[in-house]
Amino acid sequence: MEFKDYYAALGVKPEADLKEIKNAYRKLARKYHPDVNAEPGVAEKFKDVAEAYRVLKDPEKRAEYDELRRYGGKRTAGEGFQAPPGRQSQGQENEGDFSDFFNSIFGNAGRGSARSGSAQEHGFAFRGQDIEIELPIFLEDTLEAKEKPIQYRIPSYENMQVSYINKSLKVTIPAGVGEGERIRLRGQGAPGQGSAPAGDLYLHVRLVPHPLFDVEGHNLIITVPIAPWEAALGSKIMVPTLDGKINLSIKPDSQSGQRLRVKERGLRSKTGRGDLYAVLKVVMPEKSTDQTNALWKQLAEKTSFNPRQKWGEVK
Amino acid sequence: MTSTILISCRELCDAESVSETYIIEAIEHGIIRPLEGTQGNDWVFTITEVSWFKKAIRLQKDLELDWVAVALVLELLQNKQSLEQENQLLRQRLERFHSEN
Repeated sequence: MEFKDYYAALGVKPEADLKEIKNAYRKLARKYHPDVNAEPGVAEKFKDVAEAYRVLKDPEKRAEYDELRRYGGKRTAGEGFQAPPGRQSQGQENEGDFSDFFNSIFGNAGRGSARSGSAQEHGFAFRGQDIEIELPIFLEDTLEAKEKPIQYRIPSYENMQVSYINKSLKVTIPAGVGEGERIRLRGQGAPGQGSAPAGDLYLHVRLVPHPLFDVEGHNLIITVPIAPWEAALGSKIMVPTLDGKINLSIKPDSQSGQRLRVKERGLRSKTGRGDLYAVLKVVMPEKSTDQTNALWKQLAEKTSFNPRQKWGEVK
Repeated sequence: MTSTILISCRELCDAESVSETYIIEAIEHGIIRPLEGTQGNDWVFTITEVSWFKKAIRLQKDLELDWVAVALVLELLQNKQSLEQENQLLRQRLERFHSEN
């Protein structure tokens, strides 16, 4: 295993005092905390910084670490670090998720190392970690409660090593879930140690972008392309909804961008259903023929319509 | 497997290894809001609310913040999230309006 330079992780000198260590940690923690920074790789970086701080802020742990650093840490390159015999897993650290290097020095009680026997024998009991995974859901699947298969991995600790086990479940997703909502599956997270219960599984609902519909709260929006004459004369148009097609009446003299409300054809909410908004988009034919050009020309000559009338008012 | 979207105060205390007093403090600072109930015994929280609360606990511990600072960070993070969502929606709609059909 690799010897970890905790001073380098915090960017401080080995003689730094507690105040410098604290300041360095706080600065890095604000920058790399996974709850405020979602960039990839940041969580790992934060773990290193937090582990370094945990050791260096505690005078006893720091002294132990410094001692090892003087003797063991010198022969790092190529050879790797091996904790001196008798030192492994003496401590009773149990919070958080630390590196093998940390565990080899300060122990990993409660996760049942080879030396300390099982957690059960020693009477340690720690609740398993909660696990959160993203759950992509199609809009169509939110209208009714639906059973969905999910796969995820849970960590398993043995002999101070962490390995991952694949798990699969069939979960009933309640009707009407929305973007960003969380669902909890009790006891489906990482297993507990000793007699403690397992953690929970949290599903983070992400609505899959739909090729036709946009989501605005519980309402849906669909863009409806129409021909200029449909906008001018009015028309009846077949419009798809999440559950079947409907006939939409376009009134004469409709405008591009106009929103038409179709009641209760949106997403399911706690109290009922949201609405569907059809937004009209007037589209010109891609190619015109001599015949259509003649008609447009006729129209141009017979109307006094000026779409830029408002520009005339601007001084 | 049945899923839940609500959690009681007791269960939340157990799951997060925190006391009821800790939850009361968080409620007073607007960090978590019960969906129903008037006191500890009958408070019920949504799991979505709880996921923000878990964030708050991590921030408080890892960044060594007090409740006021945690509440402020949380509020800013929530604002940021809703602006990002709104921005994404508007972009998507703009694209539909500009594309061919």
